[in-house]
Amino acid sequence: MLSSQGRSCGSFVNWFYSTIQAILNGLLTGALYGLIAMGMALIFGVMRIVNFAHGAFLMLGMYATYVLFQTTGISPYYGFPLAGAVLFVIGYATYMGLLRPIRGQVDFMVILLTMGLALIITDGVQLIFGADYHQISIPLLSKNIRLGSQISINAPWLVSFAIAAVLAVVLYFVVTHTMFGRAARAIAQNRYAAPLMGINVNQVQAISFGIGSAAAGVAGALLLPVFYLFPEVGNQFKLKSFVMVVLGGMGSIQGAAIAGLVLGVVESLTSLYWGNEWALAVDFVIFILVLSLKPSGIFGSQRA
Amino acid sequence: MKRFYLLIPCLVVMLIAGAGCHGGSGDNANTIRIGVVTSLTGSNAAFGQAHKNGYTIALEEINAKGGLLGKKVELDYYDDQSHPDQAVQGVSKLVDQDHVPIILGAYSSESTRAIVPVVTQKEIPLIIPTAVADNVMGTGSAWVFRICAGSGSFATATLDFLRNNGDPKTLAIVSENTNFGQSNNKSMTEAAKAAGLDLVDAETYQASSPDYKSLLQRVKNKNPEVVYFASYLLDASTLMRQAEQVRLNPKYYTSAGTGFAAAEFPTPDKGAGKYAEYTFSVSQWLPSAKWKGSSEFDQKFFALTNTHPAYHAMEAYAALLVAAAAIDSAKSTQSQVVRDTLRQINLAETPFGPMKFDATGQNAHPVLVTQVQGGQYKVVWPPDAAENKPIIPTPEWSKRQ
Repeated sequence: MLSSQGRSCGSFVNWFYSTIQAILNGLLTGALYGLIAMGMALIFGVMRIVNFAHGAFLMLGMYATYVLFQTTGISPYYGFPLAGAVLFVIGYATYMGLLRPIRGQVDFMVILLTMGLALIITDGVQLIFGADYHQISIPLLSKNIRLGSQISINAPWLVSFAIAAVLAVVLYFVVTHTMFGRAARAIAQNRYAAPLMGINVNQVQAISFGIGSAAAGVAGALLLPVFYLFPEVGNQFKLKSFVMVVLGGMGSIQGAAIAGLVLGVVESLTSLYWGNEWALAVDFVIFILVLSLKPSGIFGSQRA
Repeated sequence: MKRFYLLIPCLVVMLIAGAGCHGGSGDNANTIRIGVVTSLTGSNAAFGQAHKNGYTIALEEINAKGGLLGKKVELDYYDDQSHPDQAVQGVSKLVDQDHVPIILGAYSSESTRAIVPVVTQKEIPLIIPTAVADNVMGTGSAWVFRICAGSGSFATATLDFLRNNGDPKTLAIVSENTNFGQSNNKSMTEAAKAAGLDLVDAETYQASSPDYKSLLQRVKNKNPEVVYFASYLLDASTLMRQAEQVRLNPKYYTSAGTGFAAAEFPTPDKGAGKYAEYTFSVSQWLPSAKWKGSSEFDQKFFALTNTHPAYHAMEAYAALLVAAAAIDSAKSTQSQVVRDTLRQINLAETPFGPMKFDATGQNAHPVLVTQVQGGQYKVVWPPDAAENKPIIPTPEWSKRQ
């Protein structure tokens, strides 16, 4: 009797710690998801553009950081601003050179253009770097922070969580408290009235596209140490960021950030309770439920 | 009307170009082209590249000896981009446009399973170098031949090894949700049941995820003595790194080869590095294998790539070797004749061991069990091939350096 009680008590403790650990893991992954989704949400909020090249931009951020690490030995945790800068320029140029000329055309044109761009970028990277995968090895990778005997946090995930969190707050502040942010929100509210108020719509939209792309690039840089890279690596994150943007309320950047954390935790708990093969299915079940029951998203109806 | 006149020269050019293409392909006066489908790009590119290196070495050897039937041999590659639908397109292209007499490939079990019905319908012999899923041989097709041992042999070899080395009683299987993963999952589930092992957990996962910690935590909660992985390279590295993070400590980490047997796996730059240490894997071949020509192949491979080969490269090499032997003894590149000759083929001595296909087209190839010791794969089973003794139980993560 005693022994059976002891066992069930032990299994409860085990269950409890497993759950806490899964939530922690989910938050750590979710912070990166959130950063990716915020970039996409900013672009969607200001321009109503669904950027199908977002995953390719993330991949470019990974390669930029990888090249920096290979040539100078600078760790991605210091090198991520470079990925952000490179992707800002690419995003800005993409808007000015490719998207601006087709503004006002049907949305389908924009979808085709960004999809085509994603293919060109992916194949271009493949031509330059080859299809082979790469990974980097830094000392921090083998560091684990152990809380008691049951809970552990892998140091690189914690560092990337911290950086992503700071950047998310900065991005939120930029959108809500600066002239640029006010202009961007004005465009989001009424694209036709904004220029009448003296807002340079093209400039603001190009900067928004640049910042949104930079967020994907930085997320890629932070993902590099704990993952690996190959030209098609961005695809899975592209799909997930659609889910998060919808979940967060189309175009709401704070909603997208929270949606990232929620999705990370949901995936992790699904994986713990039901098994890993269900994690992706649950993502899309949420996607369909939100679209059909509350299309404005779960978190806030306000747009960027 | 004007436009119509413009069309005529276009059509003429197209016809000439088309005819030119046709004349330059297939089995012409001076060359014999052999079709190859593999994954040169995409997530399995590391293995596709290993294939290509193996094929290249075999091709050089064949042409150095004067080619086949007095003609130079060329390889006609089709990259399936690690996607089965592309592999199917590849077979159509190789057969319908290039008229190759025989095809080698694909790399993955997923792609290979997809092309088996196509080669059967087109009546072209297919030599399978690496696909271990047993369903690639299960269609009853008279046109497929497989060099490597299948997932059933992987499971029985692993269980044989375990029974003779500590005889553990509980097992968990962790497998990718692809044909390769699920075939090994099924084979091991059946073999474990027959061997009386208690299967305490079976986890299936989505490939190329950054986070498997919750999956590994589930395994840890079931506390199995043995974990059996069926994973490709990228996930093998992620799984072992994260196994350390969650401190999953089974007595034996075993695996269905592939990612856990790739040359890159024990290296820190392209694999799991020190986290690969002590993992067991089935293997089809190693540079240290006793068969004649193994070390020569290793040297040639090293000269070509500056790395040592894993069995995937050797299997590609052996596939081309056996294809060449069949064409040579058939004295023909007619598909039907080549197929019938393959049935009769009996190579007593190759670097991949003796090769002979049974009635289903399967080559009876022995399976080895290796362990990563000091960053190197060492054969630990069967006893007559063993280089080192196995290190059991696997040291707990907290007690490693």
